[in-house]
Amino acid sequence: MAVSAQALWQMMEHGQVTVLDIRPQGAYAAAHVPGAVSAPYSRFGWAEAVRRWVQETAAGPNGAQIALFGDNRMLVEAAQRALDHSGVAVAATFDQGVEGWQAAGLPVVAVPNLTADELVRNLQHWTVIDVREPYEWRTGVIPQALKIPLGELPHRIQELDPSRRYAIVCASGNRSQAAAAFLAERGFEVSNLAGGMSVWLGSGHPIERG
Amino acid sequence: MIWTPFYDAVHGCSSYLVGDEVSGLGVVVDPLAEVGAEEYLLTAQEAGLRVAWVVETHVHADHRSAGRELAEAAGIAVSFHHRAPVSYPVHPLRDGQRLELGDVVLEVWETPGHTEDSLSLLVYDRRRAEEPWGVLTGDSLFVGDVGRPDLAVSSPEAAVAAASAQFDSVRRLLALPEYVAVHPAHFGASACGGIFLSRTPHSTIGFERRHNRLARIEDRQAFVDEVLRHLKPPPEAARSIRAENLGLAVKAGRSA
Repeated sequence: MAVSAQALWQMMEHGQVTVLDIRPQGAYAAAHVPGAVSAPYSRFGWAEAVRRWVQETAAGPNGAQIALFGDNRMLVEAAQRALDHSGVAVAATFDQGVEGWQAAGLPVVAVPNLTADELVRNLQHWTVIDVREPYEWRTGVIPQALKIPLGELPHRIQELDPSRRYAIVCASGNRSQAAAAFLAERGFEVSNLAGGMSVWLGSGHPIERG
Repeated sequence: MIWTPFYDAVHGCSSYLVGDEVSGLGVVVDPLAEVGAEEYLLTAQEAGLRVAWVVETHVHADHRSAGRELAEAAGIAVSFHHRAPVSYPVHPLRDGQRLELGDVVLEVWETPGHTEDSLSLLVYDRRRAEEPWGVLTGDSLFVGDVGRPDLAVSSPEAAVAAASAQFDSVRRLLALPEYVAVHPAHFGASACGGIFLSRTPHSTIGFERRHNRLARIEDRQAFVDEVLRHLKPPPEAARSIRAENLGLAVKAGRSA
């Protein structure tokens, strides 16, 4: 059932729904509804993964129901059909994207993208977190970066200082989007290095050996 | 750069999703009704892209387009050559205009000949180089052939003028660096080319400069004569399909 932004926000505030953001991860990281979970829709295994996730988390039959957030009616409908097919009930859908959400005066969590050139010019203003796996640091690491693999971030979050600005880095900008969105949800001021180390290294910016 | 061709080998039609994985923006060129708007949207979504542009290299007369449906679903207008005679609101493109997806850029070239509203699109991946990587040649330059000049005109004289325009467009394209990849809108079975149209969907400027029997003709009159001499009959239902793509008719026969 397509609902208005206000109606969906109400449902979220009352704990009635868990919102799955079906847009590509990059769009989610750039700006998303507070509390929404990134679940980019794809035709390959997505609905089954959501079904398992719903079973394993509180969002089960007795918990909150699933709502879908997207920016395209055709894609939201395709995702809803896939969930119907997998036996996951969808309580509400919203297909007007972040634009429609903000037009209703509702808040978003945003992670700005940072280009490699912007970062290298202002490196002293940022604390860089490299979320790649240890073997990947061999290709070079941005000088003074904190090295925290993505999987370790949730339990190492207390090492971070909420008064700093963090630039999150990975190989191509994908994992860092997820990490940045995770930190932004928890109130940190973060940006994502667009294109990751592939762009940093390709631009010939300074590195230290990892 | 994200580069996903969609080939309809039965009708010899090619369409393309081109995008920038960093910006998350994509463009779909010449979407086919045979493939369907939803397929393009889903493929873009799965590649992490939002469809920010839908471009037609010209008003097609051989197959039905998914351009309007796709653009509508994406909340945008279809982009056409500014002279395209379509009956619905479009985003007009002009020579030299650049569609910026981020580091990936498409540069518009007006390459009339097949139709007056034919475009080619140079593709740049500036993360790798400032030089063009490839060119979407629409129905201007084909692999082994050139686009026929007679489908959108109503007299033999107009076909001669269109063939002459095609000569200039093909010359301009062949002046690109030889390593530039050539990705036309048709191959194989398509009726938009002539008897030399290859079943291979892509090539390079250098290969076509050397081995394309029509494109390598350097004399205008010889080119015009040769192109017109090799014309096949127009595709079945060409008029009704073109009318539908122009937005003038609701229904056309099966694409030829």
